[in-house]
Amino acid sequence: MLEIKNLTKIYPDGTLALDDVSFTVEDGEFLVVIGLSGSGKSTLLRCINRLIDPTKGQIIMDGQDITAAEPSELRRIRRKIGMIFQHFNLVDRSSVMTNVLSGKLGYINPWASLLHKYPPGAKKEAMAALEKVGITDQATKRADELSGGQRQRVGIARALMQNPSMMLADEPVASLDPVLAHTILGYLEQLNSESHISVICSLHYLDLVQRYATKVIGLRDGQVVYRGDREDIRKMTDGQFKEIYGEEAVRVNAGEFDQGEK
Amino acid sequence: MSQIIKQEKKRSFVTAPTAALLSLLLPGLGQILARRVQRGLLMFGALVSIVGLLVWRITLLGRLAEGFWPTLFKSLDRAPMFVAFGLLAIAGLWLWIVIDAAKQTNPNRQFGNSIFVLILVVFFTIGWQISEIDLVKLSSDANEAWVPLSKILWPWEAAVTHDTDTVEAGAKVLVDSEGQAPPVPEKTEGEPYLRVSPRKGELSKLDEDNQVIPGTKITVYGENFEPNTRTQIWWSDSIGNEFRPRYQGEYVSVMTDSEGSFEKELIMPYRLIPPSAKGQQIHKVMARQVSQVGPPLPSQPLILTIELIIETIFMGMMATIFGIIFSVPISFLAARNLMSTSWLTLTIYYLTRTVLNIVRAIEPLIWALIAVVWVGLGPFAGIVALTIHSIAALGKLYSEAIEGINPGPIEAIQATGANKLQTIMYAVVPQMIPPFVSFTIYRWDINVRMSTVIGMVGGGGIGFLLVQYIRLLEYKSAGIAVWFIALTVAILDYVSAEIRQKFV
Ligand SMILES: Nc1ncnc2c1ncn2[C@@H]1O[C@H](COP(=O)(O)OP(=O)(O)OP(=O)(O)O)[C@@H](O)[C@H]1O
Ligand SMILES: [Mg+2]
Repeated sequence: MLEIKNLTKIYPDGTLALDDVSFTVEDGEFLVVIGLSGSGKSTLLRCINRLIDPTKGQIIMDGQDITAAEPSELRRIRRKIGMIFQHFNLVDRSSVMTNVLSGKLGYINPWASLLHKYPPGAKKEAMAALEKVGITDQATKRADELSGGQRQRVGIARALMQNPSMMLADEPVASLDPVLAHTILGYLEQLNSESHISVICSLHYLDLVQRYATKVIGLRDGQVVYRGDREDIRKMTDGQFKEIYGEEAVRVNAGEFDQGEK
Repeated sequence: MSQIIKQEKKRSFVTAPTAALLSLLLPGLGQILARRVQRGLLMFGALVSIVGLLVWRITLLGRLAEGFWPTLFKSLDRAPMFVAFGLLAIAGLWLWIVIDAAKQTNPNRQFGNSIFVLILVVFFTIGWQISEIDLVKLSSDANEAWVPLSKILWPWEAAVTHDTDTVEAGAKVLVDSEGQAPPVPEKTEGEPYLRVSPRKGELSKLDEDNQVIPGTKITVYGENFEPNTRTQIWWSDSIGNEFRPRYQGEYVSVMTDSEGSFEKELIMPYRLIPPSAKGQQIHKVMARQVSQVGPPLPSQPLILTIELIIETIFMGMMATIFGIIFSVPISFLAARNLMSTSWLTLTIYYLTRTVLNIVRAIEPLIWALIAVVWVGLGPFAGIVALTIHSIAALGKLYSEAIEGINPGPIEAIQATGANKLQTIMYAVVPQMIPPFVSFTIYRWDINVRMSTVIGMVGGGGIGFLLVQYIRLLEYKSAGIAVWFIALTVAILDYVSAEIRQKFV
């Protein structure tokens, strides 16, 4: 279980990106964060594994306070939290295999890893992860030779190497076409339902939100302006959606991808 | 956009005639008060510098003349076209500025820029005179450049030498004195043989007007030499100094017949006999056949060139390696994204950047002059100079590569629970390799190129040799060095392009 309590983030330049945000994520939940560009979604996700240090508030995961963790403790927490990104964030010049294996870095001897030495089972594990996302045949290619959809699958495989109990996904499908969006979110849903990995995911499209979320929070200017469960989302109207997104928002079908925000 | 339109509509402070009058008194003032400040300042600056430059050149041309008018007239005498054009141009420009001032008071007027073309033409003319451009010389003296140039373009005869073999025989003659003629030399079986007839005579002399009075005509008979071979005639005086007598400006020589014999008439040459010389003067006539034997051997210039080109390449390499070693840590200090965390680090960043820029702005040749004073002549001075410049250049390039790093992968690797070292190794290093390799090879290329010339100021390498040969007018040897430099640079160009392509 993940508890976020009174989380506030003020950037050094004074931007208030998160303003007293509180919510909980039960194990096995698929939580979707929605909100306009600049509303604080990325900031929120990055505070959870402390890629960004929050200014105030607490993040408690399974009883452990992440915000108070020492560096070595933090690394142990991070390896339990997989993360995928809008722009995939693969190391372009390394092979797919190396990218996937780097998901194991938190577990292995740092000195051995500098020489690219992995424990015996790691390679097999990496192949298994690639198999889960259906791209075993791409293992030896360089990451920048893959298509967008394939890259995001490598991103998922890398996160799977961490053996995570939670997945953070920051707009994982925003730079993919709609068919691929469903494939990628399908993998996350599968992890969520089969392996009981909780997912926290930011999305922009109501259709996708309605299809995948078990719980939704809406952010606006760093504040939570909407909370809803599966039922609420099903019933959500364009009007409510607009309220969260402001007047500029248009409902976009995932099928006919418009630029939306971003 | 709206701002620009507003600017165009700015109203002039003065009327057209006032602006013109003001610009007549002080060029540009009219424009400034018509609220075309930049234009006014530019015109004022241009006119003032043109006047200043012209005054300077006129003073130089009219040097030694006293007073204003004599100076002007003398300069007009020495460079009439230039001085007249300059004075006319200033007058014309001034007038134009006056007219322009009047026009600029009209707020709807488009900026006319043809006046700046005139200013450019004037600057070009002055520049032509200052830099002493002389097209006549360029064409009339071209044939003088052709001789050394052709030697440099095809120097390869100087690249080989041969061992030589000399076949020689001599016969004695009594000159300018009374007494018994020396005996006829004895024949030895299988040896070349020479005899002269008569065996005594008078050398050529000079009269008061330095006219040659020919000496005795003698005939030289040779036997047993190499057949059908050119044979040089040499003369040796009584103290053994050898020289080659000339006939009508050409060295005297003769072809042997198919038997290896020859017969040659010779006027006894001029040789100053010191009055103190006493007794019988016995000179010697010699016939000499010099032939090349054995395989072609590399000549001294070729060997030296190869030795120094190797030195040059290694100088470039060493400078590059030292450059890398020092510039890598420095580049971290000069990377903005790493150094923007606090005011202290930011200060270090600006300081490093400034020093790098200054060091880089000073050419390696100038660093070499300093290094020669520092560590003495030789390749080490060149390496010091190139290293200093490389550190600055590579430091800047590397730091820009660091600044260009994509933070995404760093974030992703951190998120897996990796520590700092792992993050650098997995997310930073792979991104750094292509620019690093590319910049380093590029620098190596530059360093080798530079070390070919750095020798000219004493920094070791082939440049030193090249300058020596040119000063000694040994154009063929210089040509060998030039060819090797060109070849090295071309090969290096190709290799570095290949390597860079592989890594990017
Ligand atoms: N490093 C930073 N320094 C200062 N301000 C920042 C920084 N990163 C984000 N912000 C600001 O914080 C606010 C929230 O940004 P955030 O990236 O979390 O929004 P987001 O909801 O993820 O937007 P998007 O949908 O465009 O990704 C924005 O106003 C943004 O400008
Ligand atoms: Mg974002």
